[in-house]
Amino acid sequence: MKRKRDYQALDSLDTVYGYYIQMTLGKFLVRRILQGVFVIWGVITIMFGLRAVSPGDPANLMLAEGATQALVEQVREEEGLNEPIYVQYFDYLQGMVVGDFGYSWQSNREVEAMVIERIPATIELAVAATIVAIVIAIPLGVISATRRNQPSDYGATLFSLLGISTPNFWLGLMLILILGVWAGLFPTGRRPVGFGPAVLTLAQTGSPSDIFTWLKYIALPAITLGTYFTALITRLTRSGMVDELGKPYVTASQAKGLPAVLVRYKHVLRNTMIPILTVLGLQIGTLMGGAVITETVFNWPGLGLRLIDALDARDWPLMQGIVVFIAIAFVSINIVVDALYAYLNPQVSDE
Amino acid sequence: MISKRVKSNLKQTFSESLLPKIGLVLLLSILFMAMFAPVLATHDPTRTGHYTEEGAEYPPLGHEYTTQVAADGEIGEVTVQGSSEHVLGTNNVGQDVYSRFLYGARVSLLVGLLGTSMAVAIGVPVGLVAGYYGGRIDDGLMRIADVMLAFPALVLALALIGVFGESPFYVPDPIVRAGLAEGMPESIPIPGTVTIVVGLVTWVWFARVARGEALSIRNEEYVKAARSFGASNRTILLKHVLPNSLTPIIVLATIQVAVIILLEASLAYLGFSGTTLSWGYEIERGQDVLRTRPWVSMLPGIGIVLAVISVNLLGDWLRDALDPNIEGEGR
Repeated sequence: MKRKRDYQALDSLDTVYGYYIQMTLGKFLVRRILQGVFVIWGVITIMFGLRAVSPGDPANLMLAEGATQALVEQVREEEGLNEPIYVQYFDYLQGMVVGDFGYSWQSNREVEAMVIERIPATIELAVAATIVAIVIAIPLGVISATRRNQPSDYGATLFSLLGISTPNFWLGLMLILILGVWAGLFPTGRRPVGFGPAVLTLAQTGSPSDIFTWLKYIALPAITLGTYFTALITRLTRSGMVDELGKPYVTASQAKGLPAVLVRYKHVLRNTMIPILTVLGLQIGTLMGGAVITETVFNWPGLGLRLIDALDARDWPLMQGIVVFIAIAFVSINIVVDALYAYLNPQVSDE
Repeated sequence: MISKRVKSNLKQTFSESLLPKIGLVLLLSILFMAMFAPVLATHDPTRTGHYTEEGAEYPPLGHEYTTQVAADGEIGEVTVQGSSEHVLGTNNVGQDVYSRFLYGARVSLLVGLLGTSMAVAIGVPVGLVAGYYGGRIDDGLMRIADVMLAFPALVLALALIGVFGESPFYVPDPIVRAGLAEGMPESIPIPGTVTIVVGLVTWVWFARVARGEALSIRNEEYVKAARSFGASNRTILLKHVLPNSLTPIIVLATIQVAVIILLEASLAYLGFSGTTLSWGYEIERGQDVLRTRPWVSMLPGIGIVLAVISVNLLGDWLRDALDPNIEGEGR
C-alpha cells in the first residue's frame, strides 16, 4: 500500500486524519469503516482476554452457592468451558459476528435483550445532556469571545472552570439535595415513565402529563451529565472564536460593511464549529463514562447502571455485551463525525 | 529545552493574570494539607464510633439537626448540637469528617501524580516511535490507540479492576515515623490497581500528542543534519525529538493530573478503590444519609473540586504561556 504523505502541511487536528488527504470521500469512508471494524474486533478481543485471565470459575458464578461438583462439571461442559481457550475464543467471536452475545450468567436471559431494553434510557439521557450543553455553551462561548476581558467573559470562564473541575457524581448529589430535597423543585426517585411510553400516551389519549413527568425526571440527570460538556464546549467555542475573529477575512467583511452579527454567527461561528465537532466525537467515550456515573447517582435505568450491576455480579457475558455495544456506538458516531468533518472541510477529501 | 523566551513568557503570563496565582496558592495549600495530614488531623481518620451521648453523628460545629435514636428500647427524637471536638462533624460510621478530609487529599494527589507518570511512561515512547518511524509501525501503534480510545476510560478501568482486584498497598507514613504526630495510622493505603489502571486507560492521549510532535520534528533541518552526520535513530529520538516535544507533553500532563484525580474519585465512588480514605469513597458513603446528614458528602466533594481547579488553573497557565497545539483533552 503506497500512499503519499505530507504531514508538514497539516495542523494538529489534521494529522490524525493525515492519511486521507488525497482520497475521495467514498474511499475515505470505506477506510474508516474498515478501521472501525478492526477497533471493534480489538475491543471484543480485549474483553475476551480479560475474562480469560479473571479469577473465579464461571460455572460457580452461574450456579447458586453449594451446587454439587457434578452440576458444576455439567455446566462447564455445556458452556464449552472445558474447550481449549482458542476454541472458546472463536466460538465467542463467531457469536458476536451474528449478534449472539450469549446469556447472562446471573439472570440467564439473552444479553442482547438485556442491552437493547436499556438503550433508550441512555440515549435519552445522552441526547438531553448534549442539548443542555449546546444550548448553553455556544451562546456563552460567543459572548465570552466577543466581550473579552469584560465581566461576562470572566463569568463564563469561571463557570466553565467549575464545570470541568466538578466530579459529576458529586454535582448530581448536590443537585438532588439542593433542587430536589431542599427546594422541592424536582422529583428524586426512579423515573416512573420513559420517553417512548410517554409519547405513546400522548398519541393515544392526547394527554401530555406523562411527557411533563418525563421532563421533570430527566432534568437533573441531564444537567449533571451535561455540565462537563457545557464547560468544555464553552471553552472550545471561546478560544476558537477568539482565533477566528483575529483573521483577515473578518476585518475584510467588516470593512465591506457586513453587519457584525452576520459575520459573527454565519462565518466565524461556522468555522469555529469544525474543530469542535472533531473534539466532541472523541469525547463520546467520556459521555458514556459520564452516563455510567450519572445513571448510578440517579438510579436511571440505562446501560450504565446495568454495567455496574454486571460488574458487581461479575456477570461477564453481560459486561462484554455492554462494552462491545458502547464501542460500536463510539466507532459509528466517530465515522459520522469524520464524514461531516470531511464534508465541511473539503481539504480533507479533495483530490 | 526550556528557552529564555519560554521562561519570560511563563513569568509574564503569570504576573499578568490572577488565575495562575490562585491555582498555585490552592495547590500548595492542598499539598501542605496532604503532607502534614497526621499533624493537622484531630482524630485518627480510620477510628470509628465518635458519636454523641445520644448515639448520633455530630453535625459540623455551629449546626444542629434533629434525628431519631433508639434508647432503652424506645425510639425518641433528639436535637444534636455540633461540637468543637469534631469541627466538621462525623460521618455515618462515626469517623471524624475533618480528619478524613485531610487524608483524602493524600490519596487524590498521589494517584493523580503516579497515574499521570504511568501514562507518560507508556504513551510518550509509543507516540514518539510511531511518529518518528512512520509506516507500518505507526499504523500498528495508532490502530492500538484507536482501540483504546473506543473504550470509555472509566469502563475499561472498571473492567481491569474487576479482573485484578483492588490490591491496596501500604506505605509507611513519614510524618508519623518521624514522631511528629501521635495516634495516627502508621501507614497510608495507596489504591494499587487504581493507580496503574488510570495510567493504562489514559496513555493514549500522550501517545497522540507525542506522535504529532515527532511527525513534525523528524523533518526539521537539525534532524536531517544529525542524520547526515550518521547519528542513529535512537540518538535522534532521545537527543532531538524527545526534548523538543516536551512542551505539549508537559501541558497535557498537567491537565491529565486533574483528569486522573476525577477518575480516581469516580472509581472510589463506584466502590472500586481499595482504600476508604478517598474523597470519592466518602461521598458514596454520605449518599445514604444525604437528606439527614448532608455534610458527610459535601466536604469531600469540595475537596475534589478545589484540587482539580488548582491543577486546571496551572494547566491553563502553562497552555497559554507555551501555546502548544493540543487536540482536546482526555477524561
